[in-house]
Amino acid sequence: MKRFKTRWAVAALALAATIGTVACSEDAGIEISDAWGRPSPSVATAGAFFMTITNNGAEDDALVAATSPACGTVELHESFMNEEGAMAMQPVPGGEITLPAGGSVVLEPGGLHVMCIDKLQDFTEGADLELTLRFQNADDTTFDVEIREP
Amino acid sequence: MTDTQAKPRPRSSLPVWLPVLLGILVILALFAWFVLPRLRPYQFNGTVIQSEMPSTNFTLTSADGPVSLSDYRGRLVLLYFGYTFCPDVCPTTLADVNKALDQLGNKAEDVQLIMVSVDPARDTPEKLAEYVEFFNPTFVGVTGADEDVRRVATLYNVWYEAHDEEGASGYLVDHTATLNVIDEEGHLKLLIGYGTGADAIAADLDYMLR
Ligand SMILES: [Cu+2]
Repeated sequence: MKRFKTRWAVAALALAATIGTVACSEDAGIEISDAWGRPSPSVATAGAFFMTITNNGAEDDALVAATSPACGTVELHESFMNEEGAMAMQPVPGGEITLPAGGSVVLEPGGLHVMCIDKLQDFTEGADLELTLRFQNADDTTFDVEIREP
Repeated sequence: MTDTQAKPRPRSSLPVWLPVLLGILVILALFAWFVLPRLRPYQFNGTVIQSEMPSTNFTLTSADGPVSLSDYRGRLVLLYFGYTFCPDVCPTTLADVNKALDQLGNKAEDVQLIMVSVDPARDTPEKLAEYVEFFNPTFVGVTGADEDVRRVATLYNVWYEAHDEEGASGYLVDHTATLNVIDEEGHLKLLIGYGTGADAIAADLDYMLR
């Protein structure tokens, strides 16, 4: 009787593991590469994170939010040239960055960035700052952003 | 048999003009190599200003006291407008200028970057100094009363405007992100737009300091 119970437990664990693996393989659709931020003085209260986000999945997704222990607040922003020929910055329209299926979105200087407001950690060269991205469909992903020159 | 024993060609039959032709070719090649590149006008990466009007002097406040544009007569001044809360555009430009000065070597001593704050409400002279010196210890940051900063910006066709954001930023300041290059005699000579890159900035400054 005891052995019988153990067998059931093993089977349940195996089933759970299988379900877990399937869930994970769905997450593998989102790939973050080349995550970096420029070194900046502590007197600069804001910083920016740049990276390439690839959606290997079959369906469109979207980056909807981000958090980091290195920042008081994290927002999704874009820089662009306005009609005055000046460089402007604003939170992304709609509050999210669309990640088309099978495509890559590049966050880079002068364009899209993950904005770190009220820096809580120093952006010194060589530092690794933890960042978590939240997506519409895929699970959250947490990784380190390297502080360095591009 | 008699053919092969034909009398040898007299030496003098080598055309006399051959060495002369070779000489001319060598001179032409040297000319093309050394002189032609100097005759071709340099192509600036920035936008050249044709006006010979001297730029208007101004005085604003740095952490070390008043700073006037005329203090730097005899050097190239890179006049930039930005603010310390700016996380993307300003650090990119300041880091690019620093890299460009690195490439210029000793000539960098003849270049002075001045950043005017377009956010005088939040940027104290001390905060500005710490900000710009992080990118290069020779950089100078200046600020002043709202109307003084506005007047200087207008002199250089710099547009800026603060706008409130729903988010945590409080407000952001959109601003012209051009480097205004003022020559040794105080003439505004060149506008280098945002995103020009360190190599291209270095090339323009190097040419102006030739
Ligand atoms: Cu931003």
